[in-house]
Amino acid sequence: MSGDPIEAAREAGRGALTEADAKALLAEHGLASPENELVDSAEAAVEAAESIGSPVVVKVASPAVQHKSEWGDGAGVAVGLTDADAVRDAAETILETAADQNIETSVLVEAGVDIDAGLEVIVGGTRDPSFGPTVLVGLGGVAVEVLQDTSHRLAPISTAEALAMIDDLESSPLFDGYRGSPAVDREAVAEAIVTVGDLLAERDEIAELEVNPLLAQSDGAVALDALVTLESADE
Amino acid sequence: MPAKSLFDPSGIAVVGASKTPGKIGYEAMQNAIRFDGPVYPVNPSAEGTVMDREFVSSVTEIDGPVDLALCCVPAPIVPDVIDECAEAGIGGAVIFAGGFAEAGPEGQQLQDRIVETALEGDVSVLGPNTSGFLVPGSDLHATFATDVEHVPAGNVAIVAQSGGLAYALAFRSENEDRGVSAMVGLGNRATVGFEEAIEYFDGDEATDAIVLHVEGSDDARSLLETCEAVDTPIVAYNVGEHDVGEFAESHTGALTGSYELYEAGFAQYGVPTVGSSQELLDAGNALADCPEPDGPNVGVVTAQAGPGIAIADRLQALGATLPDLTPETQEVVEEILPGITFSDNPVDTGRPMPEFGDVVTAVAEDENVDVVLVYELYEAALGYPTDAVETVVEDLEVPIVFGTAGPNEVLEEEVAELEALGVPTFRTPERAADAVGGLVQYARRNRKPRTAAEETEVSR
Repeated sequence: MSGDPIEAAREAGRGALTEADAKALLAEHGLASPENELVDSAEAAVEAAESIGSPVVVKVASPAVQHKSEWGDGAGVAVGLTDADAVRDAAETILETAADQNIETSVLVEAGVDIDAGLEVIVGGTRDPSFGPTVLVGLGGVAVEVLQDTSHRLAPISTAEALAMIDDLESSPLFDGYRGSPAVDREAVAEAIVTVGDLLAERDEIAELEVNPLLAQSDGAVALDALVTLESADE
Repeated sequence: MPAKSLFDPSGIAVVGASKTPGKIGYEAMQNAIRFDGPVYPVNPSAEGTVMDREFVSSVTEIDGPVDLALCCVPAPIVPDVIDECAEAGIGGAVIFAGGFAEAGPEGQQLQDRIVETALEGDVSVLGPNTSGFLVPGSDLHATFATDVEHVPAGNVAIVAQSGGLAYALAFRSENEDRGVSAMVGLGNRATVGFEEAIEYFDGDEATDAIVLHVEGSDDARSLLETCEAVDTPIVAYNVGEHDVGEFAESHTGALTGSYELYEAGFAQYGVPTVGSSQELLDAGNALADCPEPDGPNVGVVTAQAGPGIAIADRLQALGATLPDLTPETQEVVEEILPGITFSDNPVDTGRPMPEFGDVVTAVAEDENVDVVLVYELYEAALGYPTDAVETVVEDLEVPIVFGTAGPNEVLEEEVAELEALGVPTFRTPERAADAVGGLVQYARRNRKPRTAAEETEVSR
């Protein structure tokens, strides 16, 4: 067994890491995710939920599914689950939907995080054919889709440059707190950008990395979802 | 110096030279013969002479010094010509023909063959798919475009990805009574790309600044690294803000257009950027003419409030700082002009006056000021404060940019005097401000470009 999730994905002929592997890779580089466990049955999901503590999020975990929230008419992600029945139902729905589609899947059970207690940010990086490793930061959710309020740099970058990127955003004042919401930890977001840039700079196999959303909180930042896409193996 | 054969040749071969006016081989020949050195028409199927020079059948048959070949032949013949150039020891070639990488896979193959031959034979190839280049200072007009001899010699090198834009800039420069040290259209960049051109003109004594027009490059990081490595100030016009692809499923890829990356990259590597060809020329001229600014702090002296306010507004949008003048300077200004309209920054004298030049000098001497921008409508009775401006440039070594307006006929001579002192002069307040914007970006980003963001951009 290879201990490296990128090599493991390559060996399995997959073009992307699973969410759990992507998060593990980020965690190795210092970017935390909510506690999670990967299970293969509804019963195991219930047990995992009990050990993690309520509420939990239950997600489809399959190399065949990259856009979890759009998968299976919404079966792919269930949030805010507080009791065993809800966890069991969510896990069963995922496993049944996957069986119907004839794909293999596991179930990711993850500690639920209060999204309202932070700011959703997108942090990403691509390997551009002309520029090499690059990074971006933007406000997550609607802001990134509608306003395209993003800031870019060529990686690797320093923490100071990453802070300057956040400052470049039109939405930068939102990081300082808005209508009673607390100011978020700019340093932690900056460290996340640095981490993404370093990963792209260090690992040639990564084509694209996206942490979306990264939840920026008053004392840190956690990756709620992460996707690592690999360069095709023959390149 | 890899591109020396191209831009500083001893002799020129015009391959595919023709006796028929209108043909590329004729126009290129007509341009080439202005060069003060031997020019050889090469054409295996032509006999006799063209423009009093005897046809040669091949570059390998030339008996004399030649190291630049202007290839006026169709695409399929080009690889053989480059091969012959290599054999003849010709170190530079310009390929005008299109039909290469820009025309699909077959063209790409043809271009690959040229690159291979050129690298093996040590030939620097400009193009294909270019209209060539100009070095007006040595009457070197390596192009088939006409009327290029009107572009005067100056101190800015234009390096443009598009030949069309290169000429647009060069002729604009002529229209404004300036000129260029060189103008290069890169085209498909077979072996001479941004890096090679920038490195060459960095070592060119006639070039004091390099302006770039960029659409996209196979190796943008290497372009940025080259910009960072050279000493000559560079300013770039990066085109393509709005052709970024549609939103793809994955955000990161879709959000990362090359325009954004160029803007980010130029900022990271210390290169000022502008948003139009006019701004490119203006900022390039300011960087070429002015002493290097120590910082981004601009002192504005205006004889009329309106233009001064427009300038102050625009400067701040461009990232300039308008520092407070020291109490000492304010005292000096108020002594010169009791009851002055506004003695902070901008200093507004209300109208031109005999002491206007003293005010300019006082602001330039202020320790808080790195760059001076003067705006003054022309008044015949007072003229311009030329002596004061000369002092600022020469003794204080402070960059000074001048904005003015008045009837062309009256201004021409006066403006020329200022320009001769190395003071770039602009006829609108905004253009003067934009030119200073280039100086400010340069000052902010250079010296320690990798940490510039830390110092300046965090507090907005």
